[in-house]
Amino acid sequence: MTEKITQLKEELSKAVIGQERMIEGLLIGLLCEGHILIEGVPGLAKTTTINALAKALGLDFKRIQFTPDLLPSDIIGAQIYNPKDHSFSIKKGPLFTNLLLADEINRAPAKVQSALLEVMQEQQVTIGDETFPLERPFLVMATQNPIEQEGVYALPEAQLDRFMMKLIVTHNSEAEELEIMRKGATKSFGEVKQVLEREELFALQKAIEAIHIDPELEQYIISLVSATRKPEKFGMDSIAADIMYGVSPRASIDLYKAARAKAFLRGNDYVTPADIGYVIADVLRHRIVLSYEARARGIQPDEIIAKIVEAVPVP
Amino acid sequence: MKPNRGRLAVLFLSIFCVLLHAEDFTYTIRPSTLTPYEKEPVLLRVDINQTNPEPILLFLFDIKPKRAYRVEQISATHDNTLHHAKEHYLYLLFPLKSGLLDIDFDLTKRVTNDDKVHYFFSGDRDDFKKLETTDSKVDVPPLKIKVKPLPKGTQLIGNFTLNYLFKPKKVEAYEPVSLRISIEGNGYPPLLENIYPKQEDVSLFASKPVLTRHVDAHTVHYKAVYDLALTSGKSFDTARITLHAFNPKTRQQYTLNIPSEHIEVTRPDTAVLVDKTDTPPPLHSNWKQFGTLMGYLLAFGAGFLTAWMLKWHRKEKARGHPLTARIDACNAKKQLLQLLMAEDAQRFVPVIDKLEADLYGTEKYALKQLKQEAKERLT
Repeated sequence: MTEKITQLKEELSKAVIGQERMIEGLLIGLLCEGHILIEGVPGLAKTTTINALAKALGLDFKRIQFTPDLLPSDIIGAQIYNPKDHSFSIKKGPLFTNLLLADEINRAPAKVQSALLEVMQEQQVTIGDETFPLERPFLVMATQNPIEQEGVYALPEAQLDRFMMKLIVTHNSEAEELEIMRKGATKSFGEVKQVLEREELFALQKAIEAIHIDPELEQYIISLVSATRKPEKFGMDSIAADIMYGVSPRASIDLYKAARAKAFLRGNDYVTPADIGYVIADVLRHRIVLSYEARARGIQPDEIIAKIVEAVPVP
Repeated sequence: MKPNRGRLAVLFLSIFCVLLHAEDFTYTIRPSTLTPYEKEPVLLRVDINQTNPEPILLFLFDIKPKRAYRVEQISATHDNTLHHAKEHYLYLLFPLKSGLLDIDFDLTKRVTNDDKVHYFFSGDRDDFKKLETTDSKVDVPPLKIKVKPLPKGTQLIGNFTLNYLFKPKKVEAYEPVSLRISIEGNGYPPLLENIYPKQEDVSLFASKPVLTRHVDAHTVHYKAVYDLALTSGKSFDTARITLHAFNPKTRQQYTLNIPSEHIEVTRPDTAVLVDKTDTPPPLHSNWKQFGTLMGYLLAFGAGFLTAWMLKWHRKEKARGHPLTARIDACNAKKQLLQLLMAEDAQRFVPVIDKLEADLYGTEKYALKQLKQEAKERLT
């Protein structure tokens, strides 16, 4: 199993230089069937990465560029009227795929975002009076530009909660960028080949469920999640005012699943506190709703998470 | 009957030298001659016999040392049968100067009895008992000999033969020529100083002569071997050696000669001797090697210093990092794990792995070491 993951990473490295954290986050999402929200400036190989992932897995891949004038029917499909026989036929939208890149999701209006997020949750699409289940696996990788930019619609908190992880993609190191520049100029990026069958992916997903997690660690996850809601209970009175809302129970589930996937990727068949530590920021950062005062002071959710991890004792 | 001079002389010597002593024992001192030449070996036989069996007698005998003569004991036989003691000594005496000489003796008579002997033997290794004796010096008159002088220039006294061997006779420059001289015969030990004279342009190396002695019932046979080596840078003739000897028995002078030998010394062809190429390589090559060595040392030093400076730089940089103080403040491994997990866990993956192995596995790491590693990763 671990060899398959290594092969997959090697294939991805042919097309993507660096960005190991993004790749690992995507793999965790893939193994847990959780959707990923990626935040980062344009040109950081977000599309390239998911395209390479689709090729390596032999899965169908589609990309939607979200724009302010986008309609829900543009992504989910619509009933088309045929004037010849006065009938309606179904035209499936780009959602009907395995890997979907929702590029710049925060540029689309709320109703389009809502339509997508509903599909993400239900794993099915209803067009007219007909419901179409989506083929497994279904993974949405949504990207958004940094929130400060103009002409964007911030995703509502309830909708953000549907994303298992939010990854922050940063620029490559100088050495990596030099390699990207050379390879880009000479078009010498390697061709990604399929290394994993769909059934093998399902087997990997099944293997994740077999990863052991100790009851003490389960309690540790609960404590971490609780600390976002009642920080004063863990002696963190100083951050209590910074948090408006703590994370939802969906966060506990996703943190539990992500920790097991991380342990699997590390080659272990059991979860350790460090596995939780590695993924907690990615799982919780988009779910913590900061107070106005905190936002005014420029506090980031990652700072709150760091304080929580430092305060809640490990088993 | 025609009187025999030799027999008369022996009879005379016997009468002269036999000395009767009191009533307990007799002793006899018989020299082979009373008129020897200087350094002529005189064989001296001493016999002491107990004549009175009543007491138990023991004897101590020796010749008193003097500068005028040299004595070598050849043999000594002790028959200490109780009540019938017999002593026999054989000496070789060499008078070292001419003229009238007194040979002095030291004889001690020791008297004891059966009881004391019995007591003496009753002891053992751990309980040694001294034999009690009553000792008394016996007044032995000196033996007077008249020593005749040697002919002038005599180097060897006795009947000697000479052998020598030069080997090889053709040598290369400064190659040693071995010369072995052996002088063998009866007489005064043939040991000579500077047997080979000094020669110009010839270096002489001499080892100490080896003297061997063979004793029979009547005389002593000596053999002296001289091992020498001669070296020179050019051909030369060895020195002619003439040793003047005198045989006291025949009263004849004779010489032992080593004739001069020509030693051919060939000078090596310097053109052949001198290498076309320097072996070992000349000094400037050594400097090159030295330079290479210094280069290596410099490269090593530079590498070492760079590594040290990088480490120092990272340490200095880490010192200024806000997380450094917090890492230092961690008192427990779990506390450190929490801190590293909170502060960008990916950066501290190796340290977190070690902390996990320590906390939840079997490996053990020192907290101080883990803190140091974490600080090093800050830079």
